[in-house]
Amino acid sequence: MSKDQKPELRRSVTPWGSFSWGYSDVGADIFVGLGLVLGAAAGASNVAFLFAGIVYICIGLAYTELAATYPVAGGGQYFVLRGLGDIFGFIAGWAVLLDFTIDIALFAWSCVDYLSELLPMVSSSGHPWAHFILTIGLIVGLCVLNVIGVRESTAFNGFVSALDIVSETAILTLGFLFAFSPHLLVHTMQTSWPSPFEFMKGISLAIVSFVGLESISQAAEETQRPASIIPRTSVALILTILIFALSYSNLALGMHTWHPIPLDANGHAQFFWQYLGNTENNGKAVALIAKQVPYWGAIAAFYVPVLGAILLLISSNSGVFGSSRIAYAMSSGRLLPSIFQRVHPKFRTPTVSLMVFTGVAVIEVVFAALPSLNPAMATLYAQHFNGESGIDFLGDLYAFGAATSYSFVFVALVALRLFDPLSPRKFKIPLNIPLKFRGERAEFPLIAVIGFIGIVAILVFTMITHPIGRIAGPLWIVFGILLYFVYRKRKGLPVLRSSKRDWRTEQTEILRRAGELELMDEYLENLKASEQRRAEANA
Amino acid sequence: MTTALTAVHPTVAGAFIALLIALAIFSTLWWMLHPPASFVQKLAKEAESELERMVGSIIVVFSPDILSTHMMALAAKLARGERSELLAVYIVEVPYTLPPDAEMPIEEREALDALGAAETIATNNGVSLRTETIKARSTKQAVLDLAKREKANLIILGSFREGKYTGAPLGRSIEEIAADAKCDVLIGVEGKHGTLLYEEPTP
Repeated sequence: MSKDQKPELRRSVTPWGSFSWGYSDVGADIFVGLGLVLGAAAGASNVAFLFAGIVYICIGLAYTELAATYPVAGGGQYFVLRGLGDIFGFIAGWAVLLDFTIDIALFAWSCVDYLSELLPMVSSSGHPWAHFILTIGLIVGLCVLNVIGVRESTAFNGFVSALDIVSETAILTLGFLFAFSPHLLVHTMQTSWPSPFEFMKGISLAIVSFVGLESISQAAEETQRPASIIPRTSVALILTILIFALSYSNLALGMHTWHPIPLDANGHAQFFWQYLGNTENNGKAVALIAKQVPYWGAIAAFYVPVLGAILLLISSNSGVFGSSRIAYAMSSGRLLPSIFQRVHPKFRTPTVSLMVFTGVAVIEVVFAALPSLNPAMATLYAQHFNGESGIDFLGDLYAFGAATSYSFVFVALVALRLFDPLSPRKFKIPLNIPLKFRGERAEFPLIAVIGFIGIVAILVFTMITHPIGRIAGPLWIVFGILLYFVYRKRKGLPVLRSSKRDWRTEQTEILRRAGELELMDEYLENLKASEQRRAEANA
Repeated sequence: MTTALTAVHPTVAGAFIALLIALAIFSTLWWMLHPPASFVQKLAKEAESELERMVGSIIVVFSPDILSTHMMALAAKLARGERSELLAVYIVEVPYTLPPDAEMPIEEREALDALGAAETIATNNGVSLRTETIKARSTKQAVLDLAKREKANLIILGSFREGKYTGAPLGRSIEEIAADAKCDVLIGVEGKHGTLLYEEPTP
């Protein structure tokens, strides 16, 4: 390779590799989300997961179409930039960045929760300082590993994902086989149906279990035949996660436990779902369900906490890595200052991005841990934030960031269908209305509208039900927009309008680099035919 | 938590859901891992299956005019990867002025060196090798007869581009074998013997 040529990312990610990159991110969500949703939506947790799941299917389909059409590293931020322009691309990317920092904090926090199942000396309720210090230690450790360029390999991700899928399938099948009662499920749903407020809160937290599909799009540039493989891995990921989320929530509500459930703090008997959803246990609900599965639970009690902790740590690491990558991409696209592109002279890693966004995650952990570390802060949180716990605080922001970026992705999908109908779409969301737009045949995606309404509803639920989320989330966006304005103004770039780009040349280059030569030919033919039509119309 | 265990509660609905979950997960992952092959992948697969057919039995040919030691190293690696049968043969061409079984001590000594080197290469690469020295009137005919007898899939030859004959820059025997053999022929020409048509100007 000559010195002038830029090195390209090697296309080494196989279908299983692509799936496991997504799974190691999204798969960890249920380990955190299940307890949170059970705590909020009680007997309607399964319905909350179903509602969020339907929205998630729409999101997944949108991401699948976009990642297969534009297989570049950048994910949602790139799609929105391309569909809606610079400023919206920035806001979407900034919201994804919030999610990645929460990813780091929330999953490191939950990783320690799962470890506490085997090591009670680090439990958040009994030993909050030990829990806090270990969480911070994990985050700093991940940052250091990323700075010196050490990452878990695709093979390791693939192994952990396979082990987890086998394990979760075993927990669920044996749980349903030996301990599930449909009557108990119906009874729980009838007697423990939540108030509308709690239900909305449950739905907004249920979306937490489905965040991270972005990872597949992020790795699109390294995936073999991305336009063909990504639709399959995305759809498989969507189905796998949905099956797990719906199964866990139904099992938790209708399960006859193998061991008796301990009494609550006031000495009263409690339902299994109440036990899973209380503040002490909501960070490790999957491990507790596994323990209660007849026969299998005796083994699962030991390895599921470890497996959960590993998966959560990988997910936390994907936040460290993903945030630096998004920041780097945004900086390359002149949406963020060039300092975020600065790489370490020895390790060749984006040190500034890594340290800044890991630093943000540390601040988030401090805010999350304050109520448990300081009684005065607990009182303050109780007065102003409905007494939300640390993990609730992180869940709030996670839901806010995800709902914001996903909303933009739906709009971008519609915009790209209308303004870029010539790009070949190997995967297309079903249910479209054919129409003519600017002289070209286009298709309007109805699913995107349904998904948009769903995700905006979840965003509204988040704003209504999460006192911290409705303050900290918008503050993050406003801070980002101010940063964007100052940066663009100083660089003499258009602030509200977009920089000029040649998307046609870029799309050809994207398809060529992706190895999708047949699609590249189709795109060039579409362009030629379109120009011919225009020339004929003008004549 | 106490260790007292409650009874299990198997139900038909539970068993049905359990089966459904296992089937759904398995079929989803199976579908994901079996995408249709692209045009480029089909081409690659065809080429790979050709390779399996090509390297079942390999003959590496040596003679005073065919220098194949460097190709022997390649053949050994190929044979190791594909578990091929490997035969190294040295052809001593006996002129018509001598009887067919005439003693040719110099050529036979060279044969020992060439085949000894071939055996060492094979041993270093962990493959078994048969060796043979054949006296013949024509190198080409000897190689073609041998390939027929051994049902060879591939003949490997090394050339040094002697360029003695017009129209046969790789050597007459080599070009005739390549033209007439009924199996694949791989000819390795060492780069050091090449001559550029023009020299790149030095800055």
